[in-house]
Amino acid sequence: MKYFIKKLITLIITLLFISMLTFAAFSVIPGDASLTKLGTDASPEQVEALREQMGLNDPMPVRYVRWLKDALRGDFGESYQYNGTAVSELLAQRLPVTVVLSVMALIIILALSIPLGIISAKHSGKWLDTFISQVTQITMAIPAFFLGILLTYIFGLVLQWFQPGKFVGLDESVSGCLKYLIYPAIAIALPKIAMVVKFLRNSVLSEVKKDYVRTAYSKGNTKNGVLYKHVLKNALIPVITFVALIIAEILAGSIIVEQVFSVPGMGRLLISSISNRDYPVVQAIVTYITAIVVIINFIVDILYQLVDPRVNAQ
Amino acid sequence: MKNILEIKDLTVGFCENTGWHQVLNKISFDIGEGEIVGIVGESGSGKSMTALTIMHLLAENAVIKEGEILFDGQDLLKCGDDRMRCVQGNDISMIFQEPMTSLNPVQKIGTQIGEALRLHTNLNNDEIQKRVIESMENVGLPKPAELAGKYPYQLSGGMRQRVMIAMASICSPKLLIADEPTTALDVTVQMQILKLLRRFHDETGTSILFISHDLNVVRALCDRVIVMYRGDIVETGDAVEVLRHPKHDYTKTLVAAIPKNTNVPVEKNPVVSVKNLNVYYNEGRHLFSASKKKKHVIKNISFDIYDGEILGVVGESGCGKSTLGKTLTGLNRDYTGEITMACKRPQMVFQDPFGSLNPAKKLGWIMEEPLKLSGIRDKKSRIAMVDQMLCQIGLDESYKNRYAHELSGGQRQRVSIGLALLAGTKFIVADEPVSALDVTVQSQILDLILDIHQKQNVTMMFISHDLNVVRGICHRVIVMYLGEIVEVAEVHEIYEHPRHPYTQLLLKAILNGDGRVPAGTKNSGKTTEEVNNEGCAYYPRCPYHSDECLFHRPEMKNAGTDKNPHLVKCYHMLTVD
Repeated sequence: MKYFIKKLITLIITLLFISMLTFAAFSVIPGDASLTKLGTDASPEQVEALREQMGLNDPMPVRYVRWLKDALRGDFGESYQYNGTAVSELLAQRLPVTVVLSVMALIIILALSIPLGIISAKHSGKWLDTFISQVTQITMAIPAFFLGILLTYIFGLVLQWFQPGKFVGLDESVSGCLKYLIYPAIAIALPKIAMVVKFLRNSVLSEVKKDYVRTAYSKGNTKNGVLYKHVLKNALIPVITFVALIIAEILAGSIIVEQVFSVPGMGRLLISSISNRDYPVVQAIVTYITAIVVIINFIVDILYQLVDPRVNAQ
Repeated sequence: MKNILEIKDLTVGFCENTGWHQVLNKISFDIGEGEIVGIVGESGSGKSMTALTIMHLLAENAVIKEGEILFDGQDLLKCGDDRMRCVQGNDISMIFQEPMTSLNPVQKIGTQIGEALRLHTNLNNDEIQKRVIESMENVGLPKPAELAGKYPYQLSGGMRQRVMIAMASICSPKLLIADEPTTALDVTVQMQILKLLRRFHDETGTSILFISHDLNVVRALCDRVIVMYRGDIVETGDAVEVLRHPKHDYTKTLVAAIPKNTNVPVEKNPVVSVKNLNVYYNEGRHLFSASKKKKHVIKNISFDIYDGEILGVVGESGCGKSTLGKTLTGLNRDYTGEITMACKRPQMVFQDPFGSLNPAKKLGWIMEEPLKLSGIRDKKSRIAMVDQMLCQIGLDESYKNRYAHELSGGQRQRVSIGLALLAGTKFIVADEPVSALDVTVQSQILDLILDIHQKQNVTMMFISHDLNVVRGICHRVIVMYLGEIVEVAEVHEIYEHPRHPYTQLLLKAILNGDGRVPAGTKNSGKTTEEVNNEGCAYYPRCPYHSDECLFHRPEMKNAGTDKNPHLVKCYHMLTVD
């Protein structure tokens, strides 16, 4: 429990720090919100009046605190490109799509790489191990966007299992949405599988050399008994950390892949907002994504403690 | 006596790229029912390999070329894996050397102890649980029900080895193989574990195959001894007889005594003077913890080291003896108190000769480094000095071009000593310099240390847990307990008239060839909890303790003469004898 509270406090402070950084970054970027709102024809007096009204003339710490207060209530201001639609409303539409996509990608990664990693380790040095490592390495070499195009061509155009570009929203049909998202999820997942497989394989192989494994054999365990009862839990401990890193990459990958499959998620919103200099939206998304990554790391830390009792003691 | 195990012409080896590498050459021996048989030999002699072959635990690249292992009349080498699994952990079980790493770190102790029962019997969970608790009680583990729910990292080394014994004995095996079960433990704990094994043997009549490099341990526990050398059995017979009157040359060198230091320093001229030293370790310094936690490792100690002496520092692991060495050599800066030195900064020789030399550099480079640091610019004279030093430490010039991994443990330890000397110091702190080495190599290194000590008048602090070695080579001894010095005196004085109850306990635990290990009592596994009070640190374990000890910390008092002081920190030092 003490560990949990400690980690929680660390999490909150990290989040505050990140919000400060992103806020500071967006204050430094050239471009004035008042100018964007009024257009380039506005007179300096008009601009000055609006700046005063929007509080843009206040010192940065004051503006940050005001922004943070609003942000905590879920208010990230208004979007420029969508004519004053609240940013929070835009996000509420897009965020679930990206979350569902990322979770699907993560499930695919884990569901494939954990069994493959174990099989590789069990057959280390034999042809099956080499085969798995070759195939996963090929998938790793293909960039996610290209894989997306390939999947669109094969499953969308040739096999016609889905209609590219015809995204089904979550509100329309959950199963329809999932069926559409499976392809971008695969595009994100495949390149990442190789790394997790290799990582788990090596982790198992280094655990197998340890003394406690010999003890387990001396009791009369079978090879599988030793692997599943003793080795696996130990081998998964470092993999957990690695998967946390992968999650951050999944989020980054989704930005591009959403573009390829025309999925209206955060990634697409982010790209269109950047090209339209819609700073409030960009700022909100950046804050959200960093927050998600940090929170996932927090969850991983907690998971770590559940798997490895020694963490609690340190 | 019926034989429980008969090994005939066992030949085992490895198929390597370089060819066939044989590690056991047609060895034959047997173990009688209820007999304790010891195997001694240095590392690489094949003693562990023998045990692993019996247990079917050999590495995959090992090949059993010929021979048979008859257990209860059936040949284990001809058994299939399924049949063998019924024997493993059930009829034959094994205890390993490293209690720290031989238990699964993420599984509860109770589960690990009960695993063999789950594999070999049809007992239900409640019955298993009951047997686990019983078995833990039998090996003297306190509060077994509570302990069963703990993880290995929460236990001390001695307790983990008890867990291993509970685990190995739970199915009442007919043969127990113990591979160096006490090597990684403190002397006092070693004694407890040996007593436990003896009691286990006496109560159940289980045969034990006991593997060790320590002759004293084997002599104290075993009925019969087998001496192995490079894969051959060179001598076998009654344990006491063989080790007292060895016939084979190799056994003779094994039995050869620890070298004796005959050089006596004349003047008591302090080169190092330590006053009121307190050393702390930072513990878990977190960003948000309320206060910086500091662990008080060394508590207010004062002593002198005299010119040209070898000062022994002894005590159990965790008593602060290594910390003391590190602090004197400047590797630990978080201390208060005064350290005055009348010599150059001391050098340290570490226990692990494998980890303490840079694996990526040649020895020539490694050995030149201290010379570069002391400002010798001329490469030629540096190389000359390195060559000279290599000869002095019993190697030769060709070693300059080798890497550390090409050297044996003893050779590496020679290099470590050479490095310390090249740094130009007259004071060396040696932290367990021979404990990682084989017995025969140990005496060679001790010879080297004594040789250098005599020829170059080097002062030395010799940290060791091996009380026999300390007795052989040190002039004076410091006994430490939980960060305090409890007794200081000349070596013969302390070994012949120990005053502090802790020193007496340590000395009682020495196995020096006389007497056998008695069977321990059932509750001999009492663990001590540290009482953090104003009183004597040794209070909880002391058999003589009184109320005075509980509330007041004793001062250091001189029980000897002014010329030969014998300092003791105990109220009962005069009554204790």
